[in-house]
Amino acid sequence: MKALQWQGINKLKVGEVPEPELRNPGDIIVKVTRSVTCGSDLHLLGGYIPFMQKGDVIGHEFLGEVVQAGALVKNHRVGDRVVVSSFIGCGSCWYCSKELYSLCDNSNTNPALTETLWGQAPGGCFGYSHAMGGNQGSHAEYIRVPFADVGAFTVPQGVSDERALFASDSASTGWMGAELGGVQPGDVVAVWGAGAVGQMAARAAMLLGAERVVVIDRYDYRLDQTAKFIGAETLNYEEVNTEQELRERTGGRGPDVCIEAVGMEAHSAGPQFPYDQLKQQLRLQTDRSPAVREAIHVARKGGSVFVLGVYAGIVDKFPLGAMMNKGLTVRGAQMHGPRYIPMLLDRMAKGELVTEHLATHVMPLDEGPEAYRIFKEKEDNCVRAVLVP
Amino acid sequence: MRASRAILVAVTAAAAGVTATSVVKKRRASAQDHDGRPHVITVFRPYDELKAEQVPGSLAELGDTVEVSLRPAPADRGTEISVRPRDGSPVGAGDIRRALRETRSLLEAGDVLLPSGPPTTKTTLLNRPLQAATEHGREGGLL
Ligand SMILES: NC(=O)c1ccc[n+]([C@@H]2O[C@H](COP(=O)([O-])OP(=O)(O)OC[C@H]3O[C@@H](n4cnc5c(N)ncnc54)[C@H](O)[C@@H]3O)[C@@H](O)[C@H]2O)c1
Ligand SMILES: [Zn+2]
Ligand SMILES: [Zn+2]
Repeated sequence: MKALQWQGINKLKVGEVPEPELRNPGDIIVKVTRSVTCGSDLHLLGGYIPFMQKGDVIGHEFLGEVVQAGALVKNHRVGDRVVVSSFIGCGSCWYCSKELYSLCDNSNTNPALTETLWGQAPGGCFGYSHAMGGNQGSHAEYIRVPFADVGAFTVPQGVSDERALFASDSASTGWMGAELGGVQPGDVVAVWGAGAVGQMAARAAMLLGAERVVVIDRYDYRLDQTAKFIGAETLNYEEVNTEQELRERTGGRGPDVCIEAVGMEAHSAGPQFPYDQLKQQLRLQTDRSPAVREAIHVARKGGSVFVLGVYAGIVDKFPLGAMMNKGLTVRGAQMHGPRYIPMLLDRMAKGELVTEHLATHVMPLDEGPEAYRIFKEKEDNCVRAVLVP
Repeated sequence: MRASRAILVAVTAAAAGVTATSVVKKRRASAQDHDGRPHVITVFRPYDELKAEQVPGSLAELGDTVEVSLRPAPADRGTEISVRPRDGSPVGAGDIRRALRETRSLLEAGDVLLPSGPPTTKTTLLNRPLQAATEHGREGGLL
């Protein structure tokens, strides 16, 4: 079958690979009908996650049709239209029982790498390096989905493929940022990053009752989308000073909840950008984190900062003093998909959550490398490219 | 102390892009010098249930070469299983870690997840250390 394969730093190719097989009785095989480029993939492409092998199939946000089901699968039958959580949970460990699915104890077949790096190993993810289990990704004609009763969800009839697709990763990630960031009715929430994840976090904050939600980015086309489809306020950090502006808009208090949806390749205005970039290139820090710094500095006293952006290792100039003295709660996570997907599909059916606009580019799988180029360079007003095998 | 040094080494190594190699090396080294310390894992199954059962799977296969003990975990967290190699045991730390992780998965999820396949990757000079590490994915780490 055809699949989009990682070939090395900034090198992708569509190649022929063997079709995936059922390996465990809880698996299903899904014929992929739509699969998305996610900001997380850019960190793989850029070589910031050094656990990729030449030939790995990437992609983790997808939707498709069940074509085979293992003997122990109860919830799915051949022919079902399913959307699948990008992170994999077993459904029965202590973490899954607390709905912290991305922390699953049993879904990563390579726990050694991340346990050594971080002290404990999170669960597995599709198409996201051998540190996350080396699971084959979704930019392919077929994909194997383990623990399918836990992570795959039948899409209700009233919800289109185009909308349901984003429940797989961006919408569930965004919802998690708002929910676990502790958004309360009446809160002012600031979101860094107007990509799909940031937009979904902003929408979640609004649905959870936030009074004002401000989304920060430097791309006007993304901010325009955010204003138009999400209904949030926007702020272009290249035009105004983010901190001053957020103070002004919050009566000097600072946002109650800050959600960072940018990640380790963050860009920033001012001298910290070349500084961070150089240190990252010299491997003196693995990640750049200007948006996290800013969020911690501007958050209101006793407020919270939720880090949705992916980081791999260590950062420099982390404002520990501000965090401690202002009594902040700083939290982060990989997405706990199954905790949110059924609720999100429900809200999608009711029209409370729209996502179609995120798919600015729909392209055949064959054009995968070009799709990633456009997505990475933010060309042609790209927010997400959707690949159709 | 030992663990924190290991983490530092790993983080620095990750920064240099050679983590897989160092993880493999560490695994080999620790397989020999298991220094008699116990390897402990928590399984999300009640102590009363597990103490009545035989531990299944690859932990049972280690047989008498190791000493297995169970104790209840605090709150609702299940049972802590501790495994210590007996004096002169041929079993390496890596085998014990793998046995513990597989056993936890069997007891909790009823199955041990296999990696997806068939593989889509090729072995190259650059891939080799990472492939070697992932072939033994459940044997390494800090457990
Ligand atoms: N936690 C999870 O489970 C999870 C899931 C999906 C994605 N992610 C991560 O979320 C992040 C965002 O994902 P995405 O798909 O929306 O990515 P994206 O690349 O489409 O969007 C990121 C946006 O951040 C903006 N940005 C860069 N620097 C900024 C700064 N200093 N301040 C404000 N905005 C800035 C960029 O201009 C861009 O629009 C990535 O790091 C991705 O890896 C995490
Ligand atoms: Zn993603
Ligand atoms: Zn689990």
